This record gives sequence, structure tokens and C-alpha cells, in this order.
Amino acid sequence: MHELNWGLPVILYLFLGGMGAGAGAVSASIFLRSGGGDLAGSNFRFARWGAMLAPPLVILGTAMIVLELGSFQAGNWFRFINLFLTINLSPMSIGSWVLALFILVSLAYAYTFISKAARPGDELHNMRKMLAWAMVPLGVGVALYTGILLGAMPARPFWNSPILAMLFLVSALSTGVAAILLVRSLFGHKQKVNEQAFEQHSYLLSSSDMLLIGMEILVIFLFVMYAHLTIGSVEEAVAVIMGGELTTLFWFGFVVLGLLLPAAIELKYVMPTLLYQKAYAMPRTMEILICALVIVGGFMLRYIVVIAGQVTGPVGI
Amino acid sequence: MSESKTQVSRRDFLKKLASGSAVAATAVAAPGVAISVEKPKRYGMLIDTRRCVGCEACSVACKTENDVPLGETRSWVEFIEKGNFPNVSRSFLPRLCNQCEKPQCVSVCPTGATYKRPEDGIVVVDSDICIGCKYCLQACPYGMRFINTKTGTADKCDFCLHRVANGLVPSCVNTCQGKARIFGDLNDPESEISRLLATNTTTVLRPEMGTEPMVYYIDADHTDERDAARQGLYVRIETHRRQQKRV
Repeated sequence: MHELNWGLPVILYLFLGGMGAGAGAVSASIFLRSGGGDLAGSNFRFARWGAMLAPPLVILGTAMIVLELGSFQAGNWFRFINLFLTINLSPMSIGSWVLALFILVSLAYAYTFISKAARPGDELHNMRKMLAWAMVPLGVGVALYTGILLGAMPARPFWNSPILAMLFLVSALSTGVAAILLVRSLFGHKQKVNEQAFEQHSYLLSSSDMLLIGMEILVIFLFVMYAHLTIGSVEEAVAVIMGGELTTLFWFGFVVLGLLLPAAIELKYVMPTLLYQKAYAMPRTMEILICALVIVGGFMLRYIVVIAGQVTGPVGI
Repeated sequence: MSESKTQVSRRDFLKKLASGSAVAATAVAAPGVAISVEKPKRYGMLIDTRRCVGCEACSVACKTENDVPLGETRSWVEFIEKGNFPNVSRSFLPRLCNQCEKPQCVSVCPTGATYKRPEDGIVVVDSDICIGCKYCLQACPYGMRFINTKTGTADKCDFCLHRVANGLVPSCVNTCQGKARIFGDLNDPESEISRLLATNTTTVLRPEMGTEPMVYYIDADHTDERDAARQGLYVRIETHRRQQKRV
């Protein structure tokens, strides 16, 4: 057993940071889809949920990673400022800057939505539109970076795969959508303005979540297949989920519970609308269940990947 | 060494000035002549495992010299036992930071706290800058780095920089009873290490990682558990690293 230098704080950071970044990017893109943000209506109300979710999730995740710093634990609480006194080609250096920028922009973006009376055309609208354009690339950047961070090291064969960052990006977007759907399901029904538009958006979200989960299954397939087809360190490393100690957690905890089950339920409700244009109606409890499964699956993925990367290493000496 | 990193030492320059411009002109006309060009130092270590008896004096000297916290190790010795009776062997593999030519720990460091010194090739950690993010601990293929519990920053062997800078050899080399560790400048063809490297078969650890280590071994046993399984041999590898398993 190798040392687990990165524990729960890092896992939570990768998970919360990815989910917040995904929620932010999805919120901004939905906002911009309504005539560049100029149309009032359900898109605007919808974007508001994502805008409110992104900063707290990402800030919480970032706070977690600060707790894991050796300097912080040794009492040098503000040593992490050194990250922002320089910039180099380390993924963590570039990632820290992108993350800091995302936090600032997402806070400003959330601020433009904070008033109950926020609507297109109010005094913050131009700023809101500009920030939304920045939120999409920054959100994707933060989500990608969490995977690049792990993928940069040949000494960690489980992580050292070009497709890991893609996997984390797709998972971030999928958990981001699920997070928005979840809070909307839990708290959004009271402020429903238009029943039809509400259901229309639930449909849009569930179907895009289904698409993202489909992509995620494909990326997972490629990740496992290529690792298994090689020999040496990478094959030994991936063996930890192909019969090794994390096999059950990965295949049952993540693939079945986090991907296949929510995808199957979504398929059942989305397909009639997608194929036969029937009215979309998913029970609220089912919606909450799916979102919970996707979010737990996203956490499982980060947990398994972070642990698996550290308990495996180069073979031979 | 690349040509751009070569430099004319001040002393040579002054000598040339003193001996007249004709000599200087000759040196310029023949840039390949080594007398006027001095390469920067490239410190390395050669470990002759045939001379190692596994006494751990190096591990102890290292801990004392560098005040390494309890439970951590900058340098240690692995004992490799293999074979089925009566065909058995036991060999020793001293381990320390490889001061790689392409250090992965340096390329992932987000603050620039760890760097390879251009003047002698030693990879060092500036504990006043390091934030303890543990990225380098993940990136090192040799498991050489740890978090120093006193400072909260990354720590590892630095060839006893404080000794080397004062013309001494690293503490582990100084204490080695069998003279198994040879320390010196790889760029100086007259150094003992250069002569031994030229006249012996040597290996480095995990060359496939592409890190180009500066620590070389003579007659190192690269056996691991996978070899044991393939050859049907009994193999036991005991380390005195902080975690009782080879990484």
C-alpha cells in the first residue's frame, strides 16, 4: 500500500469544484441561449439556480484543498498565497489562477442574479451578459483542470491518461446539471410561473443529463479498455478496478449506481417525449432520486480515481 | 551539457588577459579547446552495491545530519532476499533522491519552490516558499519526497547541499564503511566517479520513467515481486523507508 498523500479534502475539492464549475457553465450557456440573455422567462429563472449554486460549491471545494496543504497544517495559514506570486507551466499553477478567476467571476455573476427583482433589462443586465460569456470557458476550464492536475504525472500510471481530463469534464457537467435539477426540484416548485415551461425545462435538463451520462459511459469504456490493452505499469494500475481492491466500488458504486441506473430511469421518461413527442412528466421524487444518484456517482468517481492513483505506481525498480 | 550553458570562468578570463591577446585569439579560433571553457558542475553519485553490507550507517548519518523528523527518511537501504535453498542471495540497494536531469517534481511544482540548481544540478526545496501541496510527492516515481512535519513543507535528500557547498562530501558518503558510495562531479572527466562510470557497467533505477537519474548503481539487483512470480523464486524485499514497503 502506498501512502495516501491526498485524502478526503482533495477528493471533495475535485468533486465540489467540478460540480460548481459545471453548474456555472451550464447556467451561463442556458442564460445566453435566450436571445443572448435578453429574453425574460424560464431560461432566465433557470440560469439563476445555476448562478447561485456555482460560487458556494467551488469556494467550499477550494477551502477543502487549503486544509490539505502541509503548510496550513503546520500553522502557516496564509502560505498558499505563494501560488499567486508566480505562474509557471505546472497544471496546479495555471489551475489555481483559473480557479481564482472563476471564483471572482462566478461571485459577480451570482451577484447580478441575487435580487428577487432581477430580470433582463435591469441595471445589471449588461454586466450579467458579459459575465455569462466568461463563465462558460472558465467553467469548462476549471472542470478540465481537475483532470489535468491528476493526469500530468508519469509516476501515477492510473492517472496518466489523456482521457482522464475528458472524463472529469463530462462528469463535472453532468453533476452540475444534476445539482441544478436537484435544487430546482426541491425548492423551485413554489415559485413556478408557468407549468408547461417548468416541465419543458425539466425535460431539456434530464435529456441533456442523459446525453452527458451516455458520453461518460463511453469515456469510461475507452479509459478502461485502453488501460487494459496495454502491458506494464498501466495495466497493473488499472487492475485495481479490474479485480483489485476497488473493483466493487468502481463497477457497482460508480458504473451501476452512478451511471447506468440514472441513465435507465431518464431513458424511460425522456424517450416517449424524444421519440413520440408525448408530454413529458417525471414524478418529482424520481427526479430527486436521479439527481442524487448522479451526484453520488460523481463523488464516487473522484474518490475511486484519487485512491486508485495513489495505491498503484510504476512496476519494477 | 548544452553549449549555451558553458561559461568562461573569471579566473581563466583573467589568465588569458595576462598572457596577451594572441593566446586569447587562439582560444577564440578553436572553440572546442576545453582549457578556456569550464562546464558547470553536475553532481552525481555512484553506488557500488558489491561494497554495501547493509549496515544502515548512511541512513543514520543522514537523519542526524539533516535533522530528519522521526518516522521519515531521506535515504534508506533496501534488503533484497531471493532464491530457494540452497541457491539464495541477499543484496542491498541504498536509496536516495536521484537528482534527476528531468525532475518530475520540479515540473509540477506550482510555486517554483523546488528547482534544479543550474550551477551543480542538485534538486532542492526552498522551504520558505513551499506550500506543502504534495503534488511533488505524487510526481516522484521513486517515492523520495515526504512532508516534513516540523515545517509542513516538502522535504528530500539534497546531497547535503550545506556540506557540498563547503567542499565536503554528503554525510552518507562520508560515513559509508565499505566505501560503496562515490560522490563527485560528472562533468569533470578526472573525477573518481567519472572514471568509475566509464569503466563499469552501471544502471539507474526505473530508467523507463525518462527522468535521467544522476544516481548510478554498479551490480544493483533490480528484482521485484513480479520477477519472483515469473521465476518461481522466493523474494523478500525489506526496506527501512518510512513505509515498510518499496514504492
